[in-house]
Amino acid sequence: MKKLTSMIFLVGFFYALLLPSEAIRAAEEPFTFGLLLVGPYNDHGWSQAHFEAAKAVEKELGVRFLYIDKVNPADRPGVTVPQLVDELVSRGAKLIVANSDDMKDGIREAARQHLKVYFVHISGDDALTGKGPENLSNLMGRMEYGKMIAGFVAAMTSRTGKIGYLGPLINDETRRLAVSSYLGARYAWEKVRKKNPKDLVFQVSWIGFWFNIPGVTADPTQVTQNFFNSGFDVVISGIDTTEALTVAAQKRKQGQEVWAIPYDYRNACNEAPEACLGTPYFNWKPGYMHFIKAAQSGQWKREWLWLGPDWTDINDPDTSSVGFLPGPAMSPEVRAAMDDFIKQMASGSLNLFTGPLYYQDGSVFLRKGEQATDEQIWYMKQLLQGMIGPSSAK
Amino acid sequence: MDRVRTILTVVAISTLTTCGALLIVGTNPVDVFSAFFKGTFSSWRHFAHVINVWIPLVICSCGLLFTFSLGLWNIGVEGQIMLGAVGTAWVMRHLADMTNPTVTLGIAFLMACLLGAIWATLSGILKIKSNVHEIFSGLGLNFVAQALVLWLIFGPWKRPGVASMSGTRPFPAAVWFPVPEGWRFSPIALVAALLVMGITAWIFISTRWGLLIRAVGNNSRAAEVHGISINGNFLLAMAVAGFLAGMTGYYQAVFVYHRLIPAISSNYGYLSLLVVMLAQYRWTPVPFIALLFAMLHVGSIQLPLTLNLDSSLGGVIQGILVLTTLGVVHFRRNS
Amino acid sequence: MNVILRNIHKFYGPVHANRGISVTFREGTIHGILGENGAGKSTLMKILAGYTPRSDGQILINGAPVDYSSPGEALKYGIGMLYQDPLDFPALTAIESFTIGLPETPICLPSKHFVKLFEELTRRFHFSIRPEIPVEYLTVGERQQLEIMRLVAAGAQFIILDEPTTGISIRQKEILFDALRQLASSGRTIVLVSHKLEDVVNLCSEVYILRQGKCVGHVAAPFSKAELLEYMFGQIPPPVSRCILEKGATVLWMDRVSASWKKTTMIRCSFRVRQGEIVGVAGLEGSGQETFLRVAAGIATPHEGDLYLDREKVTGRKRSYFKNRGIYFVPNDRLAEGLFPDLSLMDHYAIAFGGSSWLIPWKTIEELARERMETFSIKGQVVSKAAGLSGGNQQRLLLSLLPANPRLLLLEDPTRGLDVESATWIWKYLQNLAQKGTAIVFSSRDLDEVFAVSHRITAFFEGRIALDAEVNTTTVDEVQKTIAGLFRE
Repeated sequence: MKKLTSMIFLVGFFYALLLPSEAIRAAEEPFTFGLLLVGPYNDHGWSQAHFEAAKAVEKELGVRFLYIDKVNPADRPGVTVPQLVDELVSRGAKLIVANSDDMKDGIREAARQHLKVYFVHISGDDALTGKGPENLSNLMGRMEYGKMIAGFVAAMTSRTGKIGYLGPLINDETRRLAVSSYLGARYAWEKVRKKNPKDLVFQVSWIGFWFNIPGVTADPTQVTQNFFNSGFDVVISGIDTTEALTVAAQKRKQGQEVWAIPYDYRNACNEAPEACLGTPYFNWKPGYMHFIKAAQSGQWKREWLWLGPDWTDINDPDTSSVGFLPGPAMSPEVRAAMDDFIKQMASGSLNLFTGPLYYQDGSVFLRKGEQATDEQIWYMKQLLQGMIGPSSAK
Repeated sequence: MDRVRTILTVVAISTLTTCGALLIVGTNPVDVFSAFFKGTFSSWRHFAHVINVWIPLVICSCGLLFTFSLGLWNIGVEGQIMLGAVGTAWVMRHLADMTNPTVTLGIAFLMACLLGAIWATLSGILKIKSNVHEIFSGLGLNFVAQALVLWLIFGPWKRPGVASMSGTRPFPAAVWFPVPEGWRFSPIALVAALLVMGITAWIFISTRWGLLIRAVGNNSRAAEVHGISINGNFLLAMAVAGFLAGMTGYYQAVFVYHRLIPAISSNYGYLSLLVVMLAQYRWTPVPFIALLFAMLHVGSIQLPLTLNLDSSLGGVIQGILVLTTLGVVHFRRNS
Repeated sequence: MNVILRNIHKFYGPVHANRGISVTFREGTIHGILGENGAGKSTLMKILAGYTPRSDGQILINGAPVDYSSPGEALKYGIGMLYQDPLDFPALTAIESFTIGLPETPICLPSKHFVKLFEELTRRFHFSIRPEIPVEYLTVGERQQLEIMRLVAAGAQFIILDEPTTGISIRQKEILFDALRQLASSGRTIVLVSHKLEDVVNLCSEVYILRQGKCVGHVAAPFSKAELLEYMFGQIPPPVSRCILEKGATVLWMDRVSASWKKTTMIRCSFRVRQGEIVGVAGLEGSGQETFLRVAAGIATPHEGDLYLDREKVTGRKRSYFKNRGIYFVPNDRLAEGLFPDLSLMDHYAIAFGGSSWLIPWKTIEELARERMETFSIKGQVVSKAAGLSGGNQQRLLLSLLPANPRLLLLEDPTRGLDVESATWIWKYLQNLAQKGTAIVFSSRDLDEVFAVSHRITAFFEGRIALDAEVNTTTVDEVQKTIAGLFRE
């Protein structure tokens, strides 16, 4: 009797296992692409910007997308990028986007394993250096401009002249963005507000990763608080999550007049509008559209794509890959100055990467009148003279 | 027969509990089970990823069998894995260019095992000489090992110009362990894991040492009366466990990540502790439980993909399994 | 307050610890409860103090039946018990421990109130504890004093003391006894539990004697010690056959050895045993013979004095060294110290006879196991776990693990819990070993057994060898007195 019951149980169990898989196989598949997000899909930051671009593309092109979020060894111990790529490919993905610099090694390995699948690695340079295979391209937005505007707005707003930059880990990209913010801030301070360059303090504190990992990185909440407690009144966030803004809002409730500028995601200001000066954000949709169309039509070629803003309207969701959305806390005067600043950059009359500029150790970055090449900006070797904070990890 | 009854009880209770938990969350348990099944058995490649987790779990669990048999709680196994990975990475950094890949891999292997064993022996020495419980010394040494790994990654071994959680620069491709086309794990590693399992079983079945550590673990006072060296066996078992944990670290560094990353152990040390506890400290169930855990581990990635569930549910199921087993076994023993 | 225990029974599983005990404790009197270890004294007192529920019977306080199920409830009725190991809080100071230990007292009272109370009590009893001293620095005697003060302050009218004189100095004993007399004269009822005859004789005005779970005697002061002893130990049957001793060379010599094992200590003991000699060791539990046997076996290490094996100094050597020299030990708690409960019989034989080879010759071991099990008539399978064997079989298993010709065999209560048949068989076997030259030293609670088989008798009292005599030169009476601490007279 016991045997019989267990037999029935077993048969029922396996039948249940097999049933849904039959159902799935029947459907006709549209073009599918996969998305590996380093953080949670709803992080109000970097990963959410990607997630929403994918949703927009899905709607517009009638394709389907799959995603796996929190792809990092701390959140998913023992899970590797090639393993997840295998999974996405087995579910029909023909193109895979990996949205973190940290997936560089893994995505390169996976691309070699799946030569018939296309890969887009965000923020990498394998297509530039030729280290990756033909099916691996790179995509990045020219966030320098967004960060310049952020720095500009920060310095226009600051009362104390002390601006904090909440940096993630240290690499070419993050140095590039910190430097851009600094250049925007310096321009506002010296050229627009006509103040003494010596009174501008621009300090970078690196937490060690793109978001807080308790016990491993420095705590961004703590770092931001330290900024505000020591006289800084604007913090520009370079990390993927919104701690800087949250802390600024708290400090405002306690009567301190401080602001923050979040990063990455269009609607990041919503967390605490009253403290938000604006958001430099990525709009991945144009880049995604480009690569998905290329993959669909078979016109794929290995590309290293560094997409800038659409200067006619930097906030156009279909054309501008980088934007800056002013926040409720920005004053009308600053707003006017910012619009003017953007106009100058759009016309080409203003290029902040123009010499003389010096690296932090005093060596020359750009001679007088020299303008930086893309490659010089991309591979930013150090922070610039005038910025406080380490250029590389000790 | 008694054992079969225990297993059936555990399976029944944990299945029911899991189903209950899932229904509370508002998910159909059938979907979840089928997701796990498909994520692990639906294709050779899926199963290959399961094997890729199974290998380090089995190797590490075998080491823990020795310490558990002695009644030692080798919590420090995580740190021992990390030290193994550190040893591997050190050899790769400094010797990869000097010798041919096979030799480098061999030296790295020995180095990993050696460092793991030394790290474990430290715990053992603290216990014998200063009477520090191995749980405390193990936790402490885990902390130190993690700090060491982070320091290396952010300090001396950082990528040029970059210090990031993504770890050190990958090892040169020449010293990635060769994997056959289309495979996701090295058959050599699988054979090695089976060999470790076999040798472990053989030690427990046939050798005097296997018997003696079981004796000490069962009753250390009687062991003393019978003139069995307790401290010596403590050290030896710790060293063996550390050796195998180091091997696990080697696997993680060479086969899985090809570099040193902060979370290099993937918590497999803690997971292995659970495997061995679930196995009731006997070697026979270890490969099967490790397989089950590897399936839960790999299959859990299906949950967000198909059901929009958090993949930590896999961990919840593991937890339910362990707790039910301990509960049932305890209940049986007392009744 | 008057307390009557009527027909108290207590079962611990199959063990019948109290078998229908009826006693009466009168107000203002110091009562003694006397008996050997295991006679049921502690069980009875734990029932009275609410630590253990009784299986049957009645407790009457001032004539009315009462029921309580915890020490706290018992204390509400006024019954308090002072434990062998006072349960206090080592990390606190004396006054803190005192304050926390008072139930029903609002803790928010100013600490001055408690300090005053504390100092009053110390003055009254002539104790010398300062309130602010940490409990961990107190001696056992001072902890007792603290506990007595706590009980008195908590309103105890009936105070039980379980072996209070173990581990305290003579001076402290005097202070304690004075305090107890004072408490009795103020109308409290005191019960002193002890196996030490002299304590009871000095302090109590009436005594109940327990033996094997029954109350076998009720005597009022003045006491005759001989009478009490006879109640305690019962009638002694005449000795049975002893094997003939051919004096051999000295196997083991202890030279003024002091050591401790667990809570028992031995102090400056000198001892010698020869080949073929059987030495019986007598002593109440905790008197030092436990340590003595373990020092001889190399399990406990002397902190003073030396140990010689065949004239070679072996002080501080490991147990394995002793074992290799042919010294074997059979402890009294077989499952806790002698056997591996979850290992099979075959595993045990492999450990004992597997030699030093790496691999276990399982075939040979199995044959050997079967042969041994038959010789020692052990009922069980080679694969059964040791824990599953009966007591007698466990003892036989332990003996069957010994080699054919040990140099020195140390046994602790070798026949404890065995039926007469098994005990006889075991002694036959042991005497046979002695005839072949093995020196045997065994301890036993059963003086009959000691006198029946020993060539020499060694008696322990409070850690010292109080008597060491050829069996022909001493008497059961003398040994009884010695182990009860009456040898000084």
